[in-house]
Amino acid sequence: MKKTYVLDKLTARVTLELVLHGLDCAEDSPVYEEFAEEFHRIYPKAEKMIRPVGMLGFGELPEQIPAEEFPAGTKVLYGVLSIGEELSSASTKAFAEGDYVQGMLYNAIADAALFSLEQDMARYLREICEEHHVGIRKRLEAPQDIPMEIQKEVWECLNLKNSLDIDITCGYMLYPVKTSCLVFVLDAEEEMFEVQHDCSRCQRTDCRHRNISDLTLQIINEAGNSEIRCRKGSSLLEVLVQNGFHPDSPCGGTGRCGKCKVKIINGRANITAADEACFSAQELQEGWRLACRLVPEQNMTVFVPKEQTYQILETGVLQDKNEKTECAPEEMKQETEASCFNVAIDIGTTTLVFQLLDGRSGKVLHTVSMLNRQRTFGADVISRIQAANAGKLDGLSKAIRTDLRNGMQKLLDESDVNGTKIRRIAIGANTTMIHLLLGYDCSTLGVYPFEAVTLSMLNMNWTELVGGDTSCHAETVIFPGFSAFVGGDIVSGLYACGFDEKEEPALLIDLGTNGEMALGNRNHLLVTSTAAGPAFEGGNISCGTGSVAGAVCSVTLEKKVAQIKTLWNKPPVGICGTGVVELMAELVREEVVDETGLLEEEYFEDGFPVAETAEGKTLVFTQGDIRELQLAKAAVRAGIEILLKRYGVCKEQVTEVYVAGGFGHGLNKDKAIAIGMLPKEFREKITVVGNSCVAGLGRFLQEGSEEAVYTLVKNAEEINLAMDAEFQNCYMEAMMFETDTDE
Amino acid sequence: MAAQIINEISEFLQKGKAKNVKTLVEEALQQGIDPKDILNDGLLSAMMIVGGKFKRNEVFVPEVLVAARAMNAGLAILEPHLVEAGNEPKGKVVIGTVKGDMHDIGKNLVSMMLKGAGFEIYDLGTDVDAEVLIGKAEEVGADIICMSALLTTTMPYMQTVIDVLKEKGLRSKYVVMVGGAPVNEEFANKIGADYYTPDAATAAEVARKAVENK
Repeated sequence: MKKTYVLDKLTARVTLELVLHGLDCAEDSPVYEEFAEEFHRIYPKAEKMIRPVGMLGFGELPEQIPAEEFPAGTKVLYGVLSIGEELSSASTKAFAEGDYVQGMLYNAIADAALFSLEQDMARYLREICEEHHVGIRKRLEAPQDIPMEIQKEVWECLNLKNSLDIDITCGYMLYPVKTSCLVFVLDAEEEMFEVQHDCSRCQRTDCRHRNISDLTLQIINEAGNSEIRCRKGSSLLEVLVQNGFHPDSPCGGTGRCGKCKVKIINGRANITAADEACFSAQELQEGWRLACRLVPEQNMTVFVPKEQTYQILETGVLQDKNEKTECAPEEMKQETEASCFNVAIDIGTTTLVFQLLDGRSGKVLHTVSMLNRQRTFGADVISRIQAANAGKLDGLSKAIRTDLRNGMQKLLDESDVNGTKIRRIAIGANTTMIHLLLGYDCSTLGVYPFEAVTLSMLNMNWTELVGGDTSCHAETVIFPGFSAFVGGDIVSGLYACGFDEKEEPALLIDLGTNGEMALGNRNHLLVTSTAAGPAFEGGNISCGTGSVAGAVCSVTLEKKVAQIKTLWNKPPVGICGTGVVELMAELVREEVVDETGLLEEEYFEDGFPVAETAEGKTLVFTQGDIRELQLAKAAVRAGIEILLKRYGVCKEQVTEVYVAGGFGHGLNKDKAIAIGMLPKEFREKITVVGNSCVAGLGRFLQEGSEEAVYTLVKNAEEINLAMDAEFQNCYMEAMMFETDTDE
Repeated sequence: MAAQIINEISEFLQKGKAKNVKTLVEEALQQGIDPKDILNDGLLSAMMIVGGKFKRNEVFVPEVLVAARAMNAGLAILEPHLVEAGNEPKGKVVIGTVKGDMHDIGKNLVSMMLKGAGFEIYDLGTDVDAEVLIGKAEEVGADIICMSALLTTTMPYMQTVIDVLKEKGLRSKYVVMVGGAPVNEEFANKIGADYYTPDAATAAEVARKAVENK
């Protein structure tokens, strides 16, 4: 068995709260805002300077160093953590230049980072203790528990100079400055695990992090058990997120969606109003609570259920001048002798898609997709803007950069391609996603006149953008956007569908939460965002769900009895967007609803039954759900009508209608028309294009015409529907259903 | 008129408004006010007030930092005029963290506050040798030598520095101030230092008095 362990998976977790608290900067201080802003400004830089390293190694207390009740020869584990010297040097330099605020902030960030590494170290300690069948009786720190000289012993025992390039001064201080040295006294009793810093014994009585009331939480989830330490005052959801868990929280932790369920195994937690609205009496008694409402007051053990898994749309349909080339999904991974590659990345609000493309032919070689971990801050763009404005910008920015690094690594690993072979990367995303990625202030995005910090095409180096250690240093392009509401992903979608070359007007509709659409040709484009809402993704629908296994995606009614199909043919768990649309169309056809959308009396109270889950629960479609869908489909239809009006063309003059978005892929055209979402005049012209963003990026990487992209943006004009009186009227009318069937 | 604008400078400095301090200092100069008055009554006295508030826990480190930053902003404008007017600093200070010790934040804050008290500072950084510290003091004709130590294992080096001063017959030439978490008045007396101060604001006050009495 090993004697020393290098800890290679260490993550520093720094929050604004921790740093400002460490500086004695209270929220009501007149300089709080300024410090918070400065923190957000410099944190991305500071983060890059944090290089966490650590080691654990077995040893014995030496003869000459007295340590309270432990004699020489006592078996111990020595632990060392460091964040490197870069950040401290930056702090010193800032002070020397008279930039005191920056100097102090850098230092406070460094302290917070170093302190936070102990969480990861605790995990390693657990593993090592289990492997060696020992427990930890006590934690000793110099100089309060054991003389400084022990650091020399540790330095020699773990060979710190060679292993981690850590020096020691004649005063027994380890260098870099931000290095901590810990001695864990071992015990035969395996259950013991006293590893926490004991503030009450620490001599740094002026330390702002001094907290005798720290809590220890045991978290049980699919992956096993973990122990995390937190301060009182944060919600359990915040603590989980800070510690690398991803509980579902589409509403961003505001207590509205009921998805962040956890079960208290051990410990007490009050029942909040939100808990009561979400759980049955039985469930409450069993200990179920919403993590976002739960603020732990004492140590507890909590079970965190598995997160929903999503089926992600990865394909795009790329049209080039002569032929339609359909890009096949993952199965078409190819061994290739290509000497260079390009990568297209679609950063969606909910999912990210990475595509590896052959540098010469442009063919899609491999695709990787994953959920955007920002979803823990909120499912939609507005929640995330609000979170960013509330001080979480750095967390959001870090989240997406981490996902980009991981996604790229996965793409490269799975295709067995070296990062150095990537020539160029293109990124398409809506304007908010770009702001969060680059750490730009979002405060103007959500309020009139809705200004973005920048909408230009941006060029930079991949490592500059995402940080971290990577072999890929490719030139990266971020697609320009039209406005705060209509971003680079739509520009890319238009480019994919060849709008830069069209002479006749065509329409692109992105059916997602934002419901962006664009109408026009190469000379003139009108764009808008209809803010259709989450109904198309199963949001706000009582039995709604995302595109997960078992989601009801297709419905036919036979004499008012629903015949359904589910995703992956699994037992029904909920109704997803396409299922909602199809169900609605059927309800209209069989006249279970009238033209205003009012449900027949029989179903009015309890909803229309759709399917039964494996647990025997009936999935229903309620009057409330119908109203939600009406809002969404009316927004899309009215958006189309207004665009046509403002552009000055009629439906017959539109040559092509492209329907994009994850939802758009499974869409039944006839049913979408039947509920009035799309005009019937479009029936023969609809092309479902799937993920048009990634397809457009691919075309760009292949043909590389920045000018064509710029022209698209330049020739576009945005219409703000919310301010349009005619839109309101159109919107009202579009809510209705046509109950006479004349096909 | 003069009093009013100087008052405004002082107010803004205390609030940490660097831009306002800059603008007003420029204005004051244009009005023909003596740069030394702007310095003493506008900037230095304002910093003293901030220091006093800090000691009484009425404001904390962040507020002090922005005030010091505002002062620097004003000082930058004032500097060339002060040189022209033949202004002398209140005194010269050589400061460093002793050999074997790499901590620097506390020392940096003391430097900041001493500068805010009108001193000329020579900050030698960390891990400073006795010879280097004393050498610099001799070179610039310092009034005060400040030492910082954050560890019980490095504190004794302060004694070494004082011993070297004595050996060279230089002890009475300098005021020796010490500080740092494990240091206290008892230790300071034991090693023969002149003053122990527990925080940067006190250090500035004591330094100021020390040179006045010299």
